[in-house]
Amino acid sequence: MTDAQTLPGPLAGLRILELADETGQFCGKLLGDLGADVVKIEPPGGEGSRRVGPFLDDIPHPERSLSFWYYNTSKRGITLNLATADGRALFERLAAASDVILETFRPGFLASLALDHETLCKQNPRLIMCSLTPFGQTGPWRDYLSSDLLHMAAGGEMASSGYDEADVPSAPPIAPGGGNAWHMGCHFAYMAIMAALVHRTVSGLGQYIDVSIHDACALTTEAAIANYVYRGEVVRRQTGRHHAAGATPRTQFRAKDGTYVCALIGGRLNPRFVGELADLLDSYGMAGDLKDPKYQDQAFITENTSHIIDDLIANFIASLPAEEVYHAAQERGFTWGAVRAPEALVGDAHLHDRGFWKQVEHKELGRSFVYPGEPAIYNGSSWRISARAPLIGEHNTEIFCDELGLSRGELLVLAENRAI
Amino acid sequence: MSRPRALENIRVVDFSWVRAGPWATRWLGALGAEIIKIEWPESERGRLPSTTTPRNAEVNLNTSGNFNDTNVNKKSLSLNVRSAKGLEIVKRLIAISDVVIENFSSRVLRNWGLGYDELCRIKPDIVYVSMSGYGHTGRNHHYTTFGPVAQAVSGLTYLSGLPDKPPAGWGWSYMDDTGGMYGAMCALTGLYHRNMTGQGQHIDLSQMVASVPLNGPALLDFTVNGRGSRRAGFPPGNRAHWPGTPLVSNYRGPTVAPHNAYRTHPGGYNDWCVIVCHSDEEWQRLVQMMGAPSWAGAEKFATVAGRLRHQEELDEHIEAWSMTAEKYQLTERCQAAGVRALPVQSAEDRVEHDPQLRHRQMYQAMEHPALGIHKVQNAPFKFSQTPASNHLPSPMIGQHTQEIVEGLLGYSHEALRAGFDDGTFWPARRARFPYMEEMLQ
Repeated sequence: MTDAQTLPGPLAGLRILELADETGQFCGKLLGDLGADVVKIEPPGGEGSRRVGPFLDDIPHPERSLSFWYYNTSKRGITLNLATADGRALFERLAAASDVILETFRPGFLASLALDHETLCKQNPRLIMCSLTPFGQTGPWRDYLSSDLLHMAAGGEMASSGYDEADVPSAPPIAPGGGNAWHMGCHFAYMAIMAALVHRTVSGLGQYIDVSIHDACALTTEAAIANYVYRGEVVRRQTGRHHAAGATPRTQFRAKDGTYVCALIGGRLNPRFVGELADLLDSYGMAGDLKDPKYQDQAFITENTSHIIDDLIANFIASLPAEEVYHAAQERGFTWGAVRAPEALVGDAHLHDRGFWKQVEHKELGRSFVYPGEPAIYNGSSWRISARAPLIGEHNTEIFCDELGLSRGELLVLAENRAI
Repeated sequence: MSRPRALENIRVVDFSWVRAGPWATRWLGALGAEIIKIEWPESERGRLPSTTTPRNAEVNLNTSGNFNDTNVNKKSLSLNVRSAKGLEIVKRLIAISDVVIENFSSRVLRNWGLGYDELCRIKPDIVYVSMSGYGHTGRNHHYTTFGPVAQAVSGLTYLSGLPDKPPAGWGWSYMDDTGGMYGAMCALTGLYHRNMTGQGQHIDLSQMVASVPLNGPALLDFTVNGRGSRRAGFPPGNRAHWPGTPLVSNYRGPTVAPHNAYRTHPGGYNDWCVIVCHSDEEWQRLVQMMGAPSWAGAEKFATVAGRLRHQEELDEHIEAWSMTAEKYQLTERCQAAGVRALPVQSAEDRVEHDPQLRHRQMYQAMEHPALGIHKVQNAPFKFSQTPASNHLPSPMIGQHTQEIVEGLLGYSHEALRAGFDDGTFWPARRARFPYMEEMLQ
C-alpha cells in the first residue's frame, strides 16, 4: 500500500456517459477505476449484459450477474429510454455537462434520434464522443452481426491458436476464451478517448472517434501479418506456443501434478544456456548427462536438441509440481512459468505484495467480495474500485433530482411514462 | 493545411525493445507524439534475429519486416547510455521530453542512474512508464516474462483449448500486444493528469499483473461462488458449453448452440467459418438458410436446451452443410439472412480478402529505405479532428542521430563526429551504415 491510495485518481473530475452493452462496458470500467465519474445509462429494466452469467449462487437475476459486476465497477447507474422525447431531452441535458460519451449502438442509431456528436457538440463543443462498434461506422460489414467468437475468427486469433497434429489430430482452430475480443476493442477505445482528452487540454475542443472491434482484433496477432507481408508465409498452429511458418520445439510440459509448465527453450540452446540448465536440473539431481563437457560444443547441442528437450527437460518437469518448477527456474533466471487456472492467482504472493486484490462491498447483500485490482500502480494518483456495479436505476434520484434539479414528482411521471 | 495530431508537441524518450514496449510507443507515435527510440547495436533486441526479412534482402539491423511493422512513427538515436557521455546526452534529451518509457526488467534503468528520483531531478513533471514483467514492487519483481509466460502464469493460457487436452493457449504473444496497449494507455493517462495538475508520476506497469484482470468473470466465479476453472468441460473449445458436462457459464457470453467453428469448402487449413445463434429466432433463420432440411425440424433442436444437449449431432449436421460452400460465400449468405457468421481468417486473408479491413485502410503501403514498399498495419481509430495514422516508416538504427543531437539538443557537428569516434553514438570498431557516413560529412 502506498500513500497514493489516498490521492484522487488521475481521471478525477471527468464525467463520462456510458451507453454500452457487453462490447464496451470494460472501457467504462477502465475509466471509472482511474477516477472518472462514469454514469452508465441503461434502458429501463437494465442493460442486456446483466443477463450474462455466471450469477451469484447460480441464481440468474439482473442484479446477480458476476460478469456485469466485474465490468461495471466504479460507475453510477441511471435508466433512460431514448425512444421517448423526455428521455432524449434528459440525455441532451446530461450530454451538455459531460466530457465524454462512450456508445456502442448500431451505426446510425444516435443520428436517427438527432443525438449524434455533430448535434450534441453544438451545445457542448468540448464533448468527445467515442463510438465503439463491431466493424466501425462505415464499410461493407458495418451492419454485420457479431459475437466474441466471430471476432476471434475474423480477427485472426483463431488462425494462430490450436494444436499440434500429434496432440489433437485434425483439431479446429481454437478461439481463446474469456471475452477478449471485447477487451481488445476497449483497450483501443480507451487509448483513443485519452488521446482526445489530452488534445482537448490544449485545444479546448472535443471530437468524434470511430473505433472498430474488428480492426482491434486484426491488429492483435503479433508477427502474423509481418510473416505474410514480408515472407508470404501463412503460419501454422501449435500446442500452447507461437504460431510458426515451420514447426518449432514444444514449450509446454506436463508437471507431476498434472498441470503444465511453459518453458521457453527453442532458439536459446547455446552452451551458456545449457550450462545454466544443467545447474538447474542438477539442483534436483536430474541433470543426466547434461554436465558433460561435450555440451560446451554448439554442434553437439544442436544434434542433441531432442534429447535435451524431450528427455531431460520433460523428465525434470514431470518430476515436480508446476509451481515449484516455475519458482526454481525463475530464481535462476529462466523465463518459465506455471500454466495456472485463474483461481490459482488468488493465493499468489507477488500479487498480495502489490495489494492487488480488493474487497468490494455489496451493501444490499451485506457482503463483501474479492475483486481483481490494478494492471499498473500509479505513484501520484490512485486506482480504486470506488463502488460495486450499480443496481438498475440506482442513481436516478441522485442524478435526475439532485444534479439536474427535477422534482420527485417529475421523476415519478417520467417513470410512469417509461422515460426512465 | 494539415490537421493537428492529438499528441502534437509531446516528446517520448523510448528505451523499449523487443515487442511490448515498442508496440506501446508505436501508437503514441500514430497519435502524433515524437518518439525517440534510444538504441545500441551491441545490446539491441528486436531488430535481430529476424525471420521476417524478405528472402531477397540482406539480413542486417535494418531489414526485419516485423521490426518495421512494430516501429513505425518513430525516430532512432543510437547512443551508448552506459557511458558517462551517453548518459549526459540522454539526460539533456529527457529534460526537454514529456514521457520516458521502457520495458526492461525491474532494476535496469535505476542501475543506469535513471531511476524515477533522478528522472524527476532532470524533468520534474516527467511521466515515467515502466513496463516490466512483474512490476517494480512485490517479491517476484526480478522474475522475467515474455508474452507466453505472462499468459501462462496469469491464467490466460488456461482459458484456451479443448477439455481433457493440454491448453492450446494463445498462438502468439497476446500479452506483448496487450501489454503494449496498457503501456500506451498508462502514458496517455499520465499525460492527461499532468496537463490537468502539473504533476508527473511513475506508473509501474507489470505484464504479468496486467494479464490477471482480463480473467475477471472467471475470477469472480471463484471468489464469489467458489467455482474454479479446473472442472469438467472447461475450456469448451469454441463452444459456449461442452456437451455432457454441467451447464455453467464458461465466460464467453450467452450459453447457446450452435456456437462453433465449422469446416468449409474446399477444406484447406484455414477453411473454417464460425456460426453462432444467440436465440431461437436466429436458429430458425439458419435453418431456413440451410434450406430447412428435415433433420433441423426435429423436436430436439427446437429449443436452446435441446440444441445444447444434442450439440455433437447438431454440429455434424451443420458442418455437412457448411462444407458445401466457401467461407466468404457462407459468411455473406448468413449475414444477409441475419445469422451470426464470420470466416476464420489467416494473415493473408486479412490483408488480401477482407473487404471491411480494406475499406478501413488497415494495411497501408509505406516505403522503407532498406525494405522498399510494403503494407504496414494502420490505426483502428478514426478521429474527426486529429487523424491518427502511420506517417514515418520504422527508423534505420541511428538514422536520426544527427537530427536529434545537433538539431534538437544543439550539439555541434564536431561533437557529433567526436561521439562517433569515441564510441558514444556507435561502437568505435563496428562498421557504420552508409547513412552514418553521410551524416558525418
